[in-house]
Amino acid sequence: MDWFTGQNADRHFFALAVLIYGLSMVYSVFLWRKGFREDNRTNYFLLLTAFALHTTSMTLRGFRLNHCPVSNLYEATIFAAWTIVTVYLVVGVWSRLRFLGAFASPVLFCIGVFALMPALDRTHSANPEATGALTSLHAALLSLAYGAFGLSSVAALMYLTQERNLKFHKMKAVISLMPPIQRLEAIVGRLLLVGFILLTVGLAIGGYDLFRMDNPDAHRGDPKVIWSVLVWLIYLGLVVMRWKFAQGGRRFALGAIGIFVFVLLTFWGVNLLSPIHNQ
Amino acid sequence: MPIVVIGLSHHSSPVTVRERFAFEQAHVPAALQLLRDSHVAEEAVILSTCNRVEIYASTSSEFRQACDSLKEFLVRCHDYRDPLTDEIYAFNEPQSVQHLFKVACGLDSMVLGETEVLGQLKAAYDVALKHGHTGSRLNKAFQKAFNVAKQIRTETNIQRGSVSIGSVAVELAEKIFSTLSQRDVLVIGAGDTSEKTARALLSRGARSIIVSNRSYDKALALAAELGGRAILFEDWANEFAKIDIVISSTSAPHHILDRPKLEPLMKLRRNRALLLIDIAVPRDVDPGVNFMENVFLYNIDDLQTIADDYLKQRKEEIARCEQIIRERAEGLFGKPGLSGDPRIRPAFGHE
Repeated sequence: MDWFTGQNADRHFFALAVLIYGLSMVYSVFLWRKGFREDNRTNYFLLLTAFALHTTSMTLRGFRLNHCPVSNLYEATIFAAWTIVTVYLVVGVWSRLRFLGAFASPVLFCIGVFALMPALDRTHSANPEATGALTSLHAALLSLAYGAFGLSSVAALMYLTQERNLKFHKMKAVISLMPPIQRLEAIVGRLLLVGFILLTVGLAIGGYDLFRMDNPDAHRGDPKVIWSVLVWLIYLGLVVMRWKFAQGGRRFALGAIGIFVFVLLTFWGVNLLSPIHNQ
Repeated sequence: MPIVVIGLSHHSSPVTVRERFAFEQAHVPAALQLLRDSHVAEEAVILSTCNRVEIYASTSSEFRQACDSLKEFLVRCHDYRDPLTDEIYAFNEPQSVQHLFKVACGLDSMVLGETEVLGQLKAAYDVALKHGHTGSRLNKAFQKAFNVAKQIRTETNIQRGSVSIGSVAVELAEKIFSTLSQRDVLVIGAGDTSEKTARALLSRGARSIIVSNRSYDKALALAAELGGRAILFEDWANEFAKIDIVISSTSAPHHILDRPKLEPLMKLRRNRALLLIDIAVPRDVDPGVNFMENVFLYNIDDLQTIADDYLKQRKEEIARCEQIIRERAEGLFGKPGLSGDPRIRPAFGHE
């Protein structure tokens, strides 16, 4: 069938993967309502199937391009989602941690829908300035950074759910399989730190790459550059609040989720406005 | 040779009767030998715990005759001379095997779903096995009982959750703190429930206990018993920077801890999570503190509700457990009726 063999076959495979992420998200609603006591094997199987389709999509794209597929926004986004689902599938081998899928699937579905938006999957640049190892490294590091931020917001969502159940003395708080909230808080903090380090290195490499161009000053007012600095500053603020002022708990978790939602909602638009990311 | 069971438990008799039928562990091998020598049973296991005394026997005698002989053995062994009515029960196959499985799974226990009885059953079986009082039928039945207990533990919720105030408090603490081994507990008011709760936390690894009471002597006594430290009642607030869990059970007629008092204390703690267990009536802690970030307040009703919910959940699992037990018991020696007459009813049944 042409749908699975044609030029856009990889996108079709990814669209199927997103559909299954959506199914998993719907199934997760039942798991949430039952307080994560239900068997999570179904959800694990759904995410495993989606992972297979997702990986096939990335492999097809990689073979077509003949290099690692992280050279435009669509590819970077699906790479970040792939990182999240891979981590879940490894962690989910332990049955006690399989419930994490209920939190991961809404994030994966949202990222997937975002990735499938039009204009993200631009034709690859013929501009020699914007290609090469450093650009790929810049894109890969930023994808990993957003993957870490995504996982951190998943952990933050778990924190808020469990914290609410504990505050309101719900039975779900004690019967759920979720880790203690103190551990969740630590996971949110560590993933944010990892993401922030990757973001810093990724942006530094991107900056260096721009500096090497013929006319680096021309990109000074680029919306994506300004936006990236803003996101970096916001994450820096959150990291400093956490480590310097011992800010934890609910506000910290809300901060981690809020910033990631902001990134998801603005990434696409800012990217479209950026000449250097649309070459 | 069908398996029969005869005995008495907390369902059928008070402790005053049970204690007179209890076997000392050291005397069990001799009792088993006596039972085998009397030719009442070809194989036998004696289970004697604080809640039950039971003899599981494989016998070639007719059920009613076997029951009479085993009852006589029990009475004679303990020189029991008072009249007996419904205290002693007996089951023939397949009910006897189902009863064994129920006991192994904690379905017949005083605390539904408890696991201690499984260990006691294993120990009783080991003694009989070691002294050569078991054969193919009891070996098969007991091995299967341990196997069914494992299946029920993993496939149902019968053993899930805590049904006492102390263990619910521990469970809550484990849902808040990464590990209890780094946690310090402050007990305000040396009451009975607070002592039990503190003990439960200590048994799960809590690092230290500080006891504060209006009567300093009582605080000293409880602290000594729990291996902790006693402080003056006026000083308990000074400990807040260090502690993570507070168990409060004073007889104060008003709140001893409220939001204006706790807010500066939380700053001292750098906003670390704090679990407040208020088991006092009237309550010691103003419910308003629960709205503070990183503060988790549970009063006696909250804890009791959780314990009751767990018990309800366990009760809801009984039917599922019994279904598994019936199926596994049927599969043990084939369909009921192949090894015993299913028409025979328990001679002194209570269940």
